[in-house]
Amino acid sequence: MSSESPILRLSASTTEAIERALHKHSADGIQRGAVHVRADAAEAVAGLALPAVAADVSYVDGVTGGNVFLLPIEGARRLAAAMKGTDPDAVAEGGKLDDLELSAVGEAMNQMMSAAALATSSVLGQDVEIAPPQIRVIEAEADAVELLHSGGSAHIVTADYTVLGAASRLIQLVPNAFVVRMTRALDELTQEYTSAPLSDSLRAVPVRVWAELGRARMMVGASLGVATGSVLELDREVDEPIDLYVDGMRFATGRLLVADDGSLQFEVEAVTGLRPGAVAAEQPESPQPATETMEV
Amino acid sequence: MARVLVVDDAAFMRKMVSDALASGGHEIVGEAGDGAEAVVRYQELRPEVTTLDITMPEKDGLEALREIMALDPGARIVMCSALGQESKVLESIKLGAKDFVVKPFQTDRVLGAVEKALA
Repeated sequence: MSSESPILRLSASTTEAIERALHKHSADGIQRGAVHVRADAAEAVAGLALPAVAADVSYVDGVTGGNVFLLPIEGARRLAAAMKGTDPDAVAEGGKLDDLELSAVGEAMNQMMSAAALATSSVLGQDVEIAPPQIRVIEAEADAVELLHSGGSAHIVTADYTVLGAASRLIQLVPNAFVVRMTRALDELTQEYTSAPLSDSLRAVPVRVWAELGRARMMVGASLGVATGSVLELDREVDEPIDLYVDGMRFATGRLLVADDGSLQFEVEAVTGLRPGAVAAEQPESPQPATETMEV
Repeated sequence: MARVLVVDDAAFMRKMVSDALASGGHEIVGEAGDGAEAVVRYQELRPEVTTLDITMPEKDGLEALREIMALDPGARIVMCSALGQESKVLESIKLGAKDFVVKPFQTDRVLGAVEKALA
């Protein structure tokens, strides 16, 4: 497999997490644009709207890489206004960025990157830690290039956003260690889905199978308060099909049966198959149309 | 009404937290911009409640929490951080934090957390 696919998969989780974090400050002022894998730092910064505030957040724990968010001055001032709870449209054009606004952008970046780190942790299955943001104002493309060189040999992906009317860019310096891990995860998924007959050695590999009745989300405070007799509401109606997972991927939907001896059984109604999209993600996707049915 | 120490590396966030607490009638007795400063200011000021960010330079919020709890096992600390990672939330609470507010926050949420810490 080329390295592009794992890089784009990682990038997608980061760009979506950042969009969600930005939405908390402006529900309708954020749009996500194109994503590109870039050959080098110069290509990544070409065409940026400058001067811009650059917020640079690096990964810690020995991984080289990080993320740089570049937001033009005007956009930075409007985002700061939105974060203060004032009207971003009331920000006068051509004004100077003050220290508090700069700090607000740094805080927004910290929130965006925390959300992104959490998303990356969940796709890679390992904790990803980030450092506090470094904030500066970039006047020229050459300064932006210099900023990216601290990322070392990381892969470069850019994602464009419009933040309250300002053309902004996220530059992701994806550490090679993440790409290696993601490649492995994707390889495991795609291997399963090839229609070619399995080799005999693979047929003997044991897999974990479980049926899931439903899910719930709660705050950690509430989870600590769960006691005997507590009732949790799950996201599933009583007559809805339940999901069958094979090694963490949703494989089929079906119903619970009770056997004559009282044990529980799972009757498969629809096999969704093992596809990368069917991975047991944090956000369960809507049920897939039946591709094949089988009785057990 | 409580005497509160506000800790966050972003001046903007210190202002947001301070404004929210002031609107609830609390007194901001001091601010700190990193974990090391937080521990020093805590000893000087002995606030009734401390709000503590996690991702900070010098010394992070979890380390500051650990040190403050060692200095004063009765310290009332509310974590106020963007980090939603379950491990951080659980670690904070295990170390003795009274609550965990995820940024960005609503004023009522911060006030509620401080009131809960005081109860």
